[in-house]
Parts: sequence; C-alpha cells; structure tokens
Amino acid sequence: MAQLELDDLTKVFQDGKDEIVAVDGVSIDIPDGEFLVVVGPSGCGKSTTLRMVAGLETVTSGQIRLDDHVINDVKPQDRDIAMVFQSYALYPHMTVHDNMAFGLEESTDMPDSEIAERVEEAATMMGIDNLLDRKPGELSGGQQQRVALGRAIVRDPEVFLMDEPLSNLDAKLRSQMRTELQRIQEDLGVTTMYVTHDQTEAMTMGDRIAILDGGVLQQVATPLECYHEPNNQFVAGFIGEPSMNFLDVDNENGTLVREGFEYPLAPEIADRVAGRDEVVLGIRPGAVEVEHTSAGDHRFDATVDVVEPMGDENTVYLLFDAWSDDNALVATVSGMRQIESGESVVAHIPEDAIHIFDGETGEALHNRTLVDEEVADVTGD
Amino acid sequence: MRDILSTLIPRLGRSGTDSDRSDAETSERPASDRSVDGDVSAGDPAVRADGGVTDQRRSTPGRVIDAVDDRFGSDFVESLPFWGPPFLLMGLFVYGAIVWNLLISLTDFTNFGSPDYSDLDFEMYTRALSDSGVISATANTFILTIAFTVATLVVGLCLAILIDRGIRFENTFRTIYLLPMSLSFVVTAQFWLWMYNVNNGILNIAIGVFGAGPIDWIGNPSVVLWAVVLALLWQFSGYAMVVYLAGLRAIPTEHYEAAQVDGASTLKMYWRVIIPQLKGATISAAVVLMVFALKAFDFLYSLVSGYRPPNGADILATKMVRESYGNLNWAYGAAIAIILFALALAIIGPYLVYEYRRGHL
Amino acid sequence: MSDTSTPATDGELDGSDDARAADRPGALERIDASRVALYGFLIGLLAVYMVPIESGLVTSIKTSPTGVSETLPYMPPLLPETLQFFTTEKWQTAFDALSRGLVSSALYAVPATIISAFAGSLAAYGLTQATWKERYKAPILALFVAGIFIPLQAVLVPLSQFWSNIVNVADLLGFVWALGINDDYAGIVEMIVTHVAYGIPICTVLFRSYYKNMSEEMIESARLDGATMRGVYRRIVLPLSTPMFAVVLIYQFTQIWNDLLFALILISSSASPAAPVVLILAGLGQSMEGQDFPLRMAGAFIAALPTLAVYVAFGEEFAEGVAS
Repeated sequence: MAQLELDDLTKVFQDGKDEIVAVDGVSIDIPDGEFLVVVGPSGCGKSTTLRMVAGLETVTSGQIRLDDHVINDVKPQDRDIAMVFQSYALYPHMTVHDNMAFGLEESTDMPDSEIAERVEEAATMMGIDNLLDRKPGELSGGQQQRVALGRAIVRDPEVFLMDEPLSNLDAKLRSQMRTELQRIQEDLGVTTMYVTHDQTEAMTMGDRIAILDGGVLQQVATPLECYHEPNNQFVAGFIGEPSMNFLDVDNENGTLVREGFEYPLAPEIADRVAGRDEVVLGIRPGAVEVEHTSAGDHRFDATVDVVEPMGDENTVYLLFDAWSDDNALVATVSGMRQIESGESVVAHIPEDAIHIFDGETGEALHNRTLVDEEVADVTGD
Repeated sequence: MRDILSTLIPRLGRSGTDSDRSDAETSERPASDRSVDGDVSAGDPAVRADGGVTDQRRSTPGRVIDAVDDRFGSDFVESLPFWGPPFLLMGLFVYGAIVWNLLISLTDFTNFGSPDYSDLDFEMYTRALSDSGVISATANTFILTIAFTVATLVVGLCLAILIDRGIRFENTFRTIYLLPMSLSFVVTAQFWLWMYNVNNGILNIAIGVFGAGPIDWIGNPSVVLWAVVLALLWQFSGYAMVVYLAGLRAIPTEHYEAAQVDGASTLKMYWRVIIPQLKGATISAAVVLMVFALKAFDFLYSLVSGYRPPNGADILATKMVRESYGNLNWAYGAAIAIILFALALAIIGPYLVYEYRRGHL
Repeated sequence: MSDTSTPATDGELDGSDDARAADRPGALERIDASRVALYGFLIGLLAVYMVPIESGLVTSIKTSPTGVSETLPYMPPLLPETLQFFTTEKWQTAFDALSRGLVSSALYAVPATIISAFAGSLAAYGLTQATWKERYKAPILALFVAGIFIPLQAVLVPLSQFWSNIVNVADLLGFVWALGINDDYAGIVEMIVTHVAYGIPICTVLFRSYYKNMSEEMIESARLDGATMRGVYRRIVLPLSTPMFAVVLIYQFTQIWNDLLFALILISSSASPAAPVVLILAGLGQSMEGQDFPLRMAGAFIAALPTLAVYVAFGEEFAEGVAS
C-alpha cells in the first residue's frame, strides 16, 4: 500500500526538431488506497502520465514519488507496480497459472508452493480458478480480462495502473466488470490509477477523477464535484451525458444578453461575474425544464426540433423562437412525457442551476447552487 | 457546506495544479497511514525488494550506469550484453575488415608475408584505372547486374500476378519456382554447364528445332554473359516472385474491386492500380538481387573450376579474387575490392536512407 | 501522441492468405478458357523450370561418354533400347569423392548456423525491445542492415591476413592436433567464426522484423511484473521466437552450406581433409579425360541433397525467410 505523488510532472516528446508537450506540469497526490480515474479526450496525455508512473516512459521534468521515495529513475521491474493493459498483454505461450505466477517468480524469492497458493487465491477471487490450465488463446475476451486483472492482483503491488482495461469488452460485460473492479479494489485497498476516455467509467468508478486536457490537469475532485462544481468550461462540457449546454452571451450589468435573449441575474451571482463582458452561460440538459406556461424571467419561447427517445427519458432539441441561428438547447425530460417535434413550448432555465464561465479563459465564475442534502452527497463519504 | 465548496473553486484554477490539500476529508486519513508505511520502507530496504533498489544503486558503478542510461536511454546498459557482442564481432569482421582492406590497397603488398604500411599511396588505383581488364570487368559487372536484376524483377512480377489469381495448389507452384534458390551456385553451375553443352546440351537441341545453332554458349565471349544472366534468372526469379507475392497480398482487396467497379480492364487494373503500389517490394527485391549478382563469383568459378572465368564473363568479383589469390597481388586485389565496394555502396546507401525515411529500419 | 497506442496483435502470423486470395476478382473457380490457359501456362512454365534439374538427374545415371552422346539429354536411360547406358556407378564414384566433404561441410555449417541465429536473436532483442534512444539505436541498426549488403570481396584480403597472421587457429589449438586430428581442421574453426560474423547481420534483421511485431504491451507487462531484460528474453521472447528460429535456421543453413567463396579462401585446397563439399564439387569430373557430365550431375545432387531435403521439408519457412 502506498501513497503516490505526481509533482509538476512533465513529458516532452521530440519529433524531429519539434517539441511536443504531452504532459504539462501535472501534480496529483493519490492517497493510500484511493481509486483515481484519469480521464480526458484522446491525446490529452493521460496514458503518457500513466506510463511515466509505470516507468515505461522517461520523465522530462518533475517527480514521481512513491511513499516519499522519488522513483523517476527506478526501472519498471523495480517499482513494484502492476499494470493492466488495454490489450491485456497476456503471455500467449503460458497457461493462466503461469501467467499469474510469472510476476511473483520474477520479483520475489517466494517458494513455488506459496506462489501456487497465492495464484489459486487470486484466481478464485476473479472466478477463473477453473481456467488455470488453459492458455490465453483458448479464453474469451472477458476471461482474458479477468486473467489480466488476476495477474495484477496476485502480485499484491504498491500501486495498480490500469490503461483502459475495459474498452475491449462489449457493453454489458463492461458494466459488469466495472462493478467488480470497484469491489476488488475496495477489498484490496490498493492505490489505483485508472485511465479511461469514457466519462461514464470515470463517474461511476473513481473515488476521485482527474481530468486532463492538452496535457494540462483541469481538475481533481470527486465525481459529483466535477459534475456540479466544474473548475472550468472544459470540465463542465466533458463530464455529463448529454453534455452541458453552452450559450455565448454578453454580460450587461448583471443581465446576460444576446440576440432575442435576456437573462437577468440575482445580485450575488451578478457580483461574481461583474467586470467580465463576454461570458458563457452553461446549463445541464437535465436542469432545463420544458413547460407550457408563458414566457417570462428565465423562460423562453421555443420550438421542439428533434426528440430522441431514450426509453426512461427523452432528449429534446429546442430552438429558441427569437433566435435567427439554429443554436439548439438540449433538454432531457421524462420518458413518459409525450412531446412532439414541432411543438411550441417554453424552455425554463432555472437560475439556481446555471453555471457561468469566463468567455476568454473558460474559468468557472459561478457554479450551480446545491441544496444542503445534495452538497452532502458531493463531499460526504 | 456551500461555503467550503465556494472557497474551493478559486483554488482550482485554470492552471490545474491540483495538490488538493483542502480536500481534507479524503486525504487526511491516508496521510497518517503513509507515514507508517514510509518508515518501514526507509528503515529496512531489504524488506522491499523493489523500492530498496533506489537506495542500493547509489554506489559509484551504479552512478556511472545511471549516467550512461540517462544519456542513451533507460535500458541501454541492461541491453548491452544482448546486442554488444554480436555487434562487436560483426563490426570487426565487416567494418574493421573494410578499413583494413582500404589500408592494404594503399600498400604495394604482393606475394607472401605481411603488408608494409609505411609507404601508402594510390598507385594501385591508378594501375586499376589503366588496366583494360578492370575496365571490361566493371562494364561486365554493370551489364550482368542490371540485366539480371531487371529480367528477374519482370519475370518474378509476372509469376506473382499469375499465382495471385486465386489458383489451386498455389503453394506447390510457389515451392517449385523457388526451389532453384535453395541450391548452391556450385550445383546450378553444373546443371547449366550441361544445359549449355555444345554437343548434347538441351538448349542447343531446343534451338536446333528451329534450325539454329549450335551455339557455344560458354565459349563464345559475346554470348557467355547472357548465358550467365539466364542461369541466374532461372535461379532467382522465384525469389522475386515471393517478394512480389507478399507485396500483392498487402494490397487491400478493395483496391481490386474499386478498379473493377471503375470499369478498368484487368491489364489496366494491374498497370495503373496494382503495380504502382509495389514500389516498395520492387526496391527491396532489386537491392537484394544486385547483391546476389555480386555473388555470381561462385557461379563463374564453378563453371571453369578456376579463377579465370570464361572469356567475356570476367566481373570485378572474379577479377579481384584472381588478382589476390591467383596472382598474389594482394594490394591490387584490395584496390579492386574497394572499387567494387564503392559501386555497391552507391546502390545500398540510397536504399538504406530510403528505408530509414519510410521508418522500416 | 500519448494515446495512440492501439491494442497490439499478439505476434501471431496471419494465416488467412488463402481465404483472401479466394476473395480476389477472378478467384471463382470457373472452368472457362482463360482459366484453363492460366493453368496450362503455369504448368508449362513449371516444366521449363524443372528442365535443368530433370536433365541433370537423368544424365547422372548414364554411362560416360557413350551414354551421354547416344541419348537425348532429357531422356532417362530406362527405355529397353537405352537400358544399356544405365548405371549407378557415377553416384557411387561421386559419393566416394564427396562423402568426406559432406562431413566437413556439416562440421562448420551446423554450428555456424546455430550460433549466428542465436546471436542474431540476441542482437535483435537488444535493439528492438529494449528502450533506449532511437537517436543512438538507428545508426547501430543501419550498420547491421548495411552489413547484409557488403560485397564480401571487400573483406577477403584482410580476412586471409587475419586468419594467417593475427589469429592462427592451427597454432592456437596445438593441443587438439596433438590428439592426432589433422591440423587442416583449423579451417573448420575459421569457417565457423567467419560465417557467424557475416551471418549476424541478416539474422539480426530477420529477428528484428519479427520482434517489431511482437506485442509491445506484453513486453512492458513482463517488465512491470519484475522481470529483468534477461528474464524477459528467456521466458517470454525466446519461447515465442520458435517460428522465427525455424525460418532463420533454415535460411542460414542453406546459405552457409551453399557458399563457396569463404571455403575457397580459407581452406583453398579441395584435397584438404577439411574441404567442404562445394569445394570438392567445383573441381569434380574435370580432371578426367574430357568432362564427365554424369559424374558432375551425380555430385551436384549429392552436394545439394542436404539443402534440398531441408527445402522440401520446410519450404514454407524458407519462402518466409527470403521474403523478409
């Protein structure tokens, strides 16, 4: 068990004469036993960060510390870190048992009997104890996945690293493994760094999530914090499905204005955005209320453009009647509700649910207001 | 609670340096665990087979290794025992020998004993340039190499296209076409000596059907070089075929289908769509074939069982060996070898650069 | 840059060539004129390719000189009226002349093949799956690749100098000759070292192309499992290299067995007890009155027998070796 610290970690790749900054000054402390999910769009540097921790990629600058030991120059084989790869990377010529025993044989002086015992134990835990004599080629994708995880578990390492381990599974198996992985990590209490591009995995699995974009860390926080209290517009847009609506507006003395759109702000919100002329109004699709009342403050006449039925809910694309462009506002409403394309409705953007971001830097100026019990969810354990 | 959150927000700035100390509830407990763990590992490195290495490596040799690895890459020192010895052996015998050969070519070394390195000059090269034997051998080398390479590529390509048209027993065909390549030049020279025999050779019988001949294939200086080309073509067209076959297999089936949908005739399809995509295969096959042509020494030697190949078939390779081992003109032979090496380099150099640029190295 | 790593294939060779070929246009197995012509042409060509070998084979069982002059070169002397020209005597004579050569050839070809293949595998591993800077790796690789294409004439004179003046095996191994072994066998040692040295480049490049396709993540995973580079090689890379070892061993064996140049330079006399089969064959049937073609043909087949056997048994591997 260990605490993992990344301190101002930077990776620069040389591409001919060009320098490509893949990871730019990332600092994260991962306390002992935490499940940290690193998430971001492809090319954001999340895999490079993970590979630096594993020792598979050299560190350009900054430090990686494992329990206060700097491990920058420690070779991968000496780091006591186990990694699960996207391709599983099983040894095709070895049986499942040998695959799982390999790490213990190479990294410890453990007697064979004890190794066998531990392999047995880990295999039982993963539900693959009946496959120990098979070779990876004879296993299904899901079983290979379990072997790859079992191989990591049996080592009882300081840190688990996982690089998109579930992305090769089909949707059903993936959600099943998601739960199982979480359970195992909780049972073992091993510090885990988990890389994914899938924000659903990030939201559901992580104790905390770290969001990277362009090699720069955008936010590290619990999933709900990231959802409700995003640091900036990127995080707000990346977390949540369907993603947050953004409207480019001008701030005119506490009223957000654009063509055919006026949104007065309460004084305490207006104070926070004072002095910023160009801002972005953000609202989660789930927070938009589709009503049949008449327009008023924070209520706008709109026409239903497209309805995408998702079963338990409908995703509704609304066009504001007063707008000449076809900038749609996305709203999710209950799946039981009848709503037709072409219908005239009123879109209510409740003031307690809005986010406001700086138009230039994307920095969050105001985040949605949560009632007390919701806040308890956000920070509570 | 709301206040805690709102004080959080300004801290988590755009720069995103997290360190998240304010998230007291999640980090405080583990922090205390950590100190316990840290003490254990720092106090007794032997307990941890892994992390302990950091401490053990701080010896002087360890530092040197770190410095070297820092310069060349993390596995450099560890990988040295793997590629180092083979590299050394190969480097010594190939590149060391070439440098040495260059040195010998600058001496006047003949007969037995050792070369005298005190008096170096280019005498052997000026001698070579005025030696009509060297000039005709150079010309023959060019003719043999180019004619053989071009002919083999063309035949190999045709064979590959025919075999690639989804025929049955493809492997059998391929195996037989490639079979001559598994034979030694010494062996094929025997076969072709018999094929080219003036009185009983099959080739003379074959052209006799048309009322021509008989031709003294080996004895006639103006024919012998082409006879050699034909024999080598027979031996290596299977090789070109295999390379082209691999190239054809790498072309997606969609390209064939797209060309057919576009209404191209089979001939046009190959000429305009398929063959241009075989550029890489052509280049690598051509380079390898040229190297085989250089090895034609074995073939020519075996034809006559001696250093003097049939009149009209002397190439630089045979001339070099004859001067060195027949006439014991070591320095002169070395100079001819350098000329041959320079010619080979003129082909291989650009090829290596080309492969490197394509990222195939 | 960072997230482009795709799931690597497990280094398995794609065996679906036949299935793909069947998808090709014109691949439908139709009995039409063009199809018949295609097969006819290919079979005809096959016959042409076989002529030199067939002619050699039938000639090798004829008497000389009458049998050779009285029969057509492509006809076997097995018809009732030509049976008088049939003899196996030439094979017997050739075998008597070449048998010691077969032994000598095997004495250096087998060790040199194994050592060079192993050295090539080690070098390729150190240059492919070890992570060190491309900038320094590339020139070393270039030297290996260029080593394949060097005309051997450029190293011959130093090579003879080296083996006669600098490392004289005959002197160094005096204790061996004291055991009653002919000191001509020093040439065998020279042949082994020389063939290994010049075989390393091609072996390295062949193994490198194979190792480049091996799953990178698998190697990384093994490193993270605590294996050193040695451990990864011994337990992962070497066991998975078996198919490539087959290719390289077969290719190297035919190359070394067939080569004449080094034998000529290092052993020189076909009368030497260490003379390999190619060296003896090059002079066979020459010294008798005229050229004894049946003897030469029989000798050629005997000399080619080991490589032919290897080729017939492992044609697939050989084809793969030459294609890469």
